Amino acid sequence: MKQTPGEQQLEIRFRPGQITKSGFMGDDTRHIHDIIEADGKVLERFGLKKADIADRLTLFMDEGKKELEGKVDLGEYVVQVHWARGLMPCPFGEPGLHPKVVVHVFSKASRQEIRYSQLSVHMIRKHGFWGGKGSVFRLEPIDVIRLLKMGGNGE
Amino acid sequence: MEYLSPITIFFAAIFTSNILLTYFLGMCSFLSVSKQIKTAFGLGLAVTFVLTITSALNYIIYYTLLQPFGIEYLRYIVFIVLVAAVVQLLEMFIQRFSEVLYINLGIFLPLITVNCAILGVSLFMIIREYTFLQSVFFGAGSGLGWLLVIVAMAGIRERLNEQKIPPALRGAGIVLIISGIMAMGFVGFSGIVQIQ
Amino acid sequence: MISNILLTVALLCGINGLLALFLIIAERFFLNYGPCTITVNESKTVRVPGGSSLLSTLNNEKIFLPSACGGRGTCGTCKCRITQGAGPLLPTEMPLLTQKEIADQIRLACQVKVKRDLSIRIPEALFSIKEFKAQVTLIKDLTYDIKLIRFKILGDDEILFKPGQYVQLQSVSYDDVKESVSRAYSIASSSDEKKSIDLMIRLVPEGICTTWVHQYLSEGDEVRFTGPMGDFCLCEGTGEIIMVAGGSGMAPIVSFLRYLIQTKSKRKVTYFFGAVTKKDLFYLDEMKRFEKEMVDFTFIPALSQPEPDDQWDGETGLITVPMKKYIQQIDTETCQAYLCGSPGMIKACVQILNENGVTSDRIFYDPFA
Repeated sequence: MKQTPGEQQLEIRFRPGQITKSGFMGDDTRHIHDIIEADGKVLERFGLKKADIADRLTLFMDEGKKELEGKVDLGEYVVQVHWARGLMPCPFGEPGLHPKVVVHVFSKASRQEIRYSQLSVHMIRKHGFWGGKGSVFRLEPIDVIRLLKMGGNGE
Repeated sequence: MEYLSPITIFFAAIFTSNILLTYFLGMCSFLSVSKQIKTAFGLGLAVTFVLTITSALNYIIYYTLLQPFGIEYLRYIVFIVLVAAVVQLLEMFIQRFSEVLYINLGIFLPLITVNCAILGVSLFMIIREYTFLQSVFFGAGSGLGWLLVIVAMAGIRERLNEQKIPPALRGAGIVLIISGIMAMGFVGFSGIVQIQ
Repeated sequence: MISNILLTVALLCGINGLLALFLIIAERFFLNYGPCTITVNESKTVRVPGGSSLLSTLNNEKIFLPSACGGRGTCGTCKCRITQGAGPLLPTEMPLLTQKEIADQIRLACQVKVKRDLSIRIPEALFSIKEFKAQVTLIKDLTYDIKLIRFKILGDDEILFKPGQYVQLQSVSYDDVKESVSRAYSIASSSDEKKSIDLMIRLVPEGICTTWVHQYLSEGDEVRFTGPMGDFCLCEGTGEIIMVAGGSGMAPIVSFLRYLIQTKSKRKVTYFFGAVTKKDLFYLDEMKRFEKEMVDFTFIPALSQPEPDDQWDGETGLITVPMKKYIQQIDTETCQAYLCGSPGMIKACVQILNENGVTSDRIFYDPFA
């Protein structure tokens, strides 16, 4: 298949050791656009937009940052944020750098935890990319929607 | 078949039998690189250059090597290899003298090799049994025709940027519709002169 | 039949061979830029082979521009002023440059290719940056996720740095990671020590360089780093000093403290260390030693969420809590503050300091980037 120069660069940056240690694709062999489309369909089923999810994730991140590295009890959820030194670019290649912030959100009700980075929030909002299956920071849209109790029943 | 003067073929290739709009060859890069007039013009020039050179070189090789030895069936391989070599040369040339154009064209520069218009022209000139001069003019004309259409399209698309286009039609959708309308416009020329 | 096959093969080979030969000659001719001259700050000139990016060419000449993304054109840290010979602005540079920078002839050194003679301007301080070959002589766990690494500089080289500066450590390829990256870490050792440096490195989830340091690096290994860089330094003054840092942010602070001991400074120093639980605390023995050796030094650790098992009887709460208490008692007119930590922490501390009369021109912090 013919690929534009941008596309070619794109795939390289998603590989291990380029921006993060194990890359963004995990063991997913699908094309980046197919992953985005498949995850987008899950959101559609629940009548949610990318920005809805990203806003909610940002909210938790901002609450967590206030307590520096400690745990923050938000009633139904417990949030903890780790902030490491340095900045990283987005693999989609637009200019700008993102701080290395990792957020843990634990739901007391379901006893489940999700983990995401500030970069994942950006990628969900801007590109609809939730990570390749099996990658370290992959968020499963359905898990996130259930944990954050967003959207309707879906089906 | 009556003999057509090289000049006639040259103009026919540009207008009445435009390689892009009547044969729909070379659509791929036409759709992708027609966003800015400047880059479109650069690619158009590159395609014209490659077309002219390769039609001449392929003509020579076909009639001095392939035909005398009776191995015309090899023409597909030989033509494409030659096209590839010319494109490589062109790539070095552009990289040296215009880095900006080189980055803007990106992958589409080496991909001129598989631009179907290039191989199409070389094969047409064999099928239509053109003479050497006719072939070169046909190549140059086709290239200029391609350049004309892609620049026109880039001009239209630059203006489209400010227009409200239904979301479903954005990108390739609207471009295909526009090229259809442009093709109809070019068909209007076809009464003037006919080449096959 | 056979002759036909042979003829075909011979012809194809002949044509392809000729074309290949032709292309090789053309490449020699077109893509050979010959030697070019780069004039740096109108004083130093270097003669270099043309054809590669300005960043890597300068690197080969031992002039190290800072670069965070490894020349991929995404970070914009390798910006420098090219006054002559840069050629037209490239589309790959556009997104990272402002209108003013474009007017000032600022370019990205990783994108500009050396094709003709160039004239560039860079800060003088960059000349003192060198590349060092060093051997790992010590790896020590400070906490569960922070390690202290000691590097002994090989050969005759010596590193001359100001306390608070950092070096860029170059990782080597390991596991899935094919390419080398370089990351900045502050120096924790004394600036008196010119043959070795200490770094404190915290494991970053998915971090390319920190994972290498934590899981692949062992004592005896040879590594490379460049430095010193950065302008987070101790300033002259006589007033009190407030230092705030948690985690691996302690590194530059330790370097400051060692410098103050060395210069027999009489300044009063208070260091607030923020952590979550007891397992995040480290270097307590050294801090005790500093308290003995210095004229007036107090180390105040604060745990924001101590575990019941920690049996913690020190300060609790965010680092701002003991700071607020303490700052009431001191003369804030002359004191200076040095901070190292996440932007969140810095913001909170700067606010407290400002509210209590420490103006921003006396607050210094490591940008953490």
